[in-house]
Amino acid sequence: MARTLAMFTDTSLCIGCRACQVACKQWNELGLEVPDWTGTYQNHTHFTDKTFRLVRFIEEPKPTGDLAWLLMSDVCKHCADAGCLNACPTGAIYRTQFGTVNINQDVCNGCRYCVSACPFGVVSFNENTGTAKKCTFCNDRIHNGLGPACAKACPTESIQFGFRDELVPKAQKRVETLKAMGFKDAQLYGADSSGFLGGLNAFFLLLSKPTTYGLPENPKLPQKNILVDSLLSIGSAVLVGLGALVAFRQRGPGGEG
Amino acid sequence: MALLQSAHWPFLIDVYFFLGGLAGGAFVIATAALIIDSVRYRDVTRVGYYLALIALLPCPVILIVDLGVPVRFMNMVLTFNPLSPMSMGAWALLGFSTAAFLAAFLTLLEDLGKARNLSAPKLIVGVIGGFLGFFLAAYPGVLLGATSRPLWINAHTLGALFLAVGGSSGAAAIALVLAALRRRSRDGIARLATTTVLALLIQLIAVIGFVWSVRASGSTQALSALTLITSGPYSTLFWGGAIVVGSVVPLLLGLVALKRPSVGLTAVMSVLVLVGGFLVKTLIMAAGQV
Repeated sequence: MARTLAMFTDTSLCIGCRACQVACKQWNELGLEVPDWTGTYQNHTHFTDKTFRLVRFIEEPKPTGDLAWLLMSDVCKHCADAGCLNACPTGAIYRTQFGTVNINQDVCNGCRYCVSACPFGVVSFNENTGTAKKCTFCNDRIHNGLGPACAKACPTESIQFGFRDELVPKAQKRVETLKAMGFKDAQLYGADSSGFLGGLNAFFLLLSKPTTYGLPENPKLPQKNILVDSLLSIGSAVLVGLGALVAFRQRGPGGEG
Repeated sequence: MALLQSAHWPFLIDVYFFLGGLAGGAFVIATAALIIDSVRYRDVTRVGYYLALIALLPCPVILIVDLGVPVRFMNMVLTFNPLSPMSMGAWALLGFSTAAFLAAFLTLLEDLGKARNLSAPKLIVGVIGGFLGFFLAAYPGVLLGATSRPLWINAHTLGALFLAVGGSSGAAAIALVLAALRRRSRDGIARLATTTVLALLIQLIAVIGFVWSVRASGSTQALSALTLITSGPYSTLFWGGAIVVGSVVPLLLGLVALKRPSVGLTAVMSVLVLVGGFLVKTLIMAAGQV
């Protein structure tokens, strides 16, 4: 496997211009959507089959009573332990040699299990194609030595693209700088490859706790439930099966009718 | 709050989960009757095997119709992914369908007088198919638990619950058919009533386990989805339909039937069990996808 590619989104540099969102739509020919009125500048409320990059506009109350903008360009995390990839019953979802996670549109049959399995609500179902859709890290571009369209378009380098083993130390350094500047809640989300989901190949620098951005604090790989749930099912099967055998074996009052 | 998405599986999938469970449960109970006494419980085995196949017939159709690209349904059986309960379920459906067809076919040969006693091959098909049948009944619950939907990922007894519903509804369906056919199988019906009571008890324990594990998770989103069932818009159907009418009342009727076997009482109990089992699965599906 080639060196893992990653995207580091530094939310402290995001100015909410949505160039990334537009570049993503243009390069991937995702088409138009009717905007949602969310009460903020954010459009849309969540990822869709035509919105793979989504700039979140969050208003966080400050101790002074004012509101502070928290801006975050969100994207598929290309998890090292990907719930969608594990869930896929057709093998349509696969990992590339760069560590990214893609959906083969010619194999996906639209069962939508990955949509429910994704811990971040990224994978979306497209009614027209009947298949699941999500960010590919601009698979065609990265295979030709170009960065993803969103990273290329970002005017503030809030989205940085490169090798994961180079980006993580850079991100850690940036956290230290921000903390020294007084951003005490600055933290990395998904950079630790020994952390949740084996680390995220699209990881973030956040200025507040993850839940403020709508990100789960400690996302869980849904397939981790399979062992316990299966063992309990086997227990239930043994009881129901033995119950049936005992019921038919016992000497009952009915007798052969 | 985390912004999750839902597959929005439609009502038809609830029907599939119910029919698949019923088919698996009926098949296992038919096999249990066959193992204990193939002559004495001949009608239970016959009806059970026929019923399993009939309940199974709409299942592949439902699953194929629900796909975004139905012509690619075969892609499910070109991959074997043990980490995906849906992949394993597709294989179980294929394997169990084969077993259910063979068991019904062997039974038909006996019924048509083409063969006198096929108990031995039926036993082999019954035991292998029984494992697959139970798998088919349980896997949808494990499948739901292996999603990120807050209500399901925090509940650990869905597989156990779905299996018990399969057992209770399978036994109830056989009893109901036997009662409707007015065949002289009072003994078999009495045994089925006992089986239903035992499966209902496990079903109720699994429901309690479901509510307990979701509450214990402390997840705000899971609790809010659970509230839909326990005190929200689905609560009347849940408490009134699934629990009281669909579980507790038939359990009491079943206990009466244990003392005094009655075909009529078992038939009423069976109808209630079928309604209750369907409601339990449907409401958990609905609340988990909101």
